[in-house]
Amino acid sequence: MANPLLEVRNLSVSYGDVRALFDVSLTVEEGLIVALLGSNGAGKSTLLKAVSGLIHPSSGEIIFDGEDLAKTSIKHRVNRGIVQVPEGRRLFSNLTIVENLRLGAYLPRGRAAYKESLERVFDLFPVLRERQNGKAGLLSGGEQQMLAIGRAVMARPKLVMIDEASLGLSPILTKTIFELIAALHQQGTTILMIEQNVNMALKHCDRAYVMSTGHIVMSGSGEELLANEELRKAYLGRRAVIGNQEGES
Amino acid sequence: MTILLQVLINGILFGTMYGIAAIGLSLVFGTMRIIFLAQGTMIVLFAYLTYWLFTLAGIDPYICIIITVPVAFLVGLGLFYTLFKDAAAIEDKNVSLLLAVGLMYMVDNLMLTIWTANPRFCATSYASFTIRIGDVNISFVRLMALVIALAAAFVVFYFLKKTRLGTAVRAAATDMQAVKLLGISSNWVMAVAFGIGIGLAGLAGVVMASVYSFDPNYGFTFALKALVALTLGGIGNVWGALSAGLILGMIESLGAYYIGAGWADAISYAVFILVLIFMPNGIFGGRAAVKKV
Repeated sequence: MANPLLEVRNLSVSYGDVRALFDVSLTVEEGLIVALLGSNGAGKSTLLKAVSGLIHPSSGEIIFDGEDLAKTSIKHRVNRGIVQVPEGRRLFSNLTIVENLRLGAYLPRGRAAYKESLERVFDLFPVLRERQNGKAGLLSGGEQQMLAIGRAVMARPKLVMIDEASLGLSPILTKTIFELIAALHQQGTTILMIEQNVNMALKHCDRAYVMSTGHIVMSGSGEELLANEELRKAYLGRRAVIGNQEGES
Repeated sequence: MTILLQVLINGILFGTMYGIAAIGLSLVFGTMRIIFLAQGTMIVLFAYLTYWLFTLAGIDPYICIIITVPVAFLVGLGLFYTLFKDAAAIEDKNVSLLLAVGLMYMVDNLMLTIWTANPRFCATSYASFTIRIGDVNISFVRLMALVIALAAAFVVFYFLKKTRLGTAVRAAATDMQAVKLLGISSNWVMAVAFGIGIGLAGLAGVVMASVYSFDPNYGFTFALKALVALTLGGIGNVWGALSAGLILGMIESLGAYYIGAGWADAISYAVFILVLIFMPNGIFGGRAAVKKV
């Protein structure tokens, strides 16, 4: 096994009096695609936001590349190489595509390699090159997701965390996005993703964690979990069980 | 025809300050989501600073720009970090709005104490100088006001379009959380926008001191006019805000001449309400302003 790039240890998060995460531990080795599964409200997004620094954990450690980041700023984490692609893309719709990408490389880490990163993003997503001076708000849903991922890539991350890449996309586009994430992974970027589309996620990931009500209840390789009908029934909801065809949305 | 032209030109030159102030309001609203009602008060405050520099130190109002604008920018940064930083983090924007109102009344009354309610004016040697083109007279100081406003709008536009920080300021107007996720300090983005907003108030203050006689009570009226211009121009649009300021000046000027001086304010607020009803995004506004409230 490769070295752990991200190690979350006993992480707890509370929103006021409501606890959202209970002693969650998870490991993402360098070079893997790891998926985070579970029904709505299981705590997946909370976990991702705690790792990116958007919310502060009440206890626990977030070890990234040998350093505990649990109490550091978002800026520090982005500069260390963690970037989150937020749920719903959250693009700057009034800005052009290039401007969106430029902001992705805002910090020194990304800025130092701006030109190369831009080429890399344009090679990954040629449609963005074609429309680089168009407004981001005018892109289609799939293209917007590409831009959201591209904006994260501009920061030259070691770890990209993607929250719901397939949200609102057609089956075909979902497939395309997954292939693009796989291509990004091929280039050496480690990926941690939240995905509602369980079948697609399990097919593409090296390992998956299943969350329920703020706990991690199961983990295993993609194939293992794909074969585990019981688990899918119990934690991933009916949809995942019925959905045999690829790329259900 | 000559009279109409004269009235329109006066209006344009009168509207420059509304325009500059509206650009400032637009920047502050875009990043912090508040209507900075103390903007007019800040303009008057910096008009007094210019007035002091002129009467006490003998510095020409236009030279004052290099002092007043940087001071105003720093005052803006200071105000943000002391008063508005924590309030900006709260979801309820009424807190920031109330802070702005409190600041307005405090500074208004402070100015009344220091400078009294007597109108002040920078009596420069060129204050009443006019340029005659055909049959139309153009006041030199008001023409300078237009030039300054255009230059300011260009600088702000350039900053927003061409610099990384400026791009971040624009991005913050759409989605502050996404800006944060890229590792960009939301406080710094807001502080800079606020600093530029107050910096523009400083510039408008210089213009005010060089063109009009003013007193501390001008502030609130100016803030309202700037707000009208902001609404007409569409939020988040530098040239829209400036043009709307000029148009507002023309409307007032036309109203004052053809209907009666007392009607000017009533007319401009009526236009404000009509535009809100029929063009909620402003005259030049696209859809961006309404999407995110």
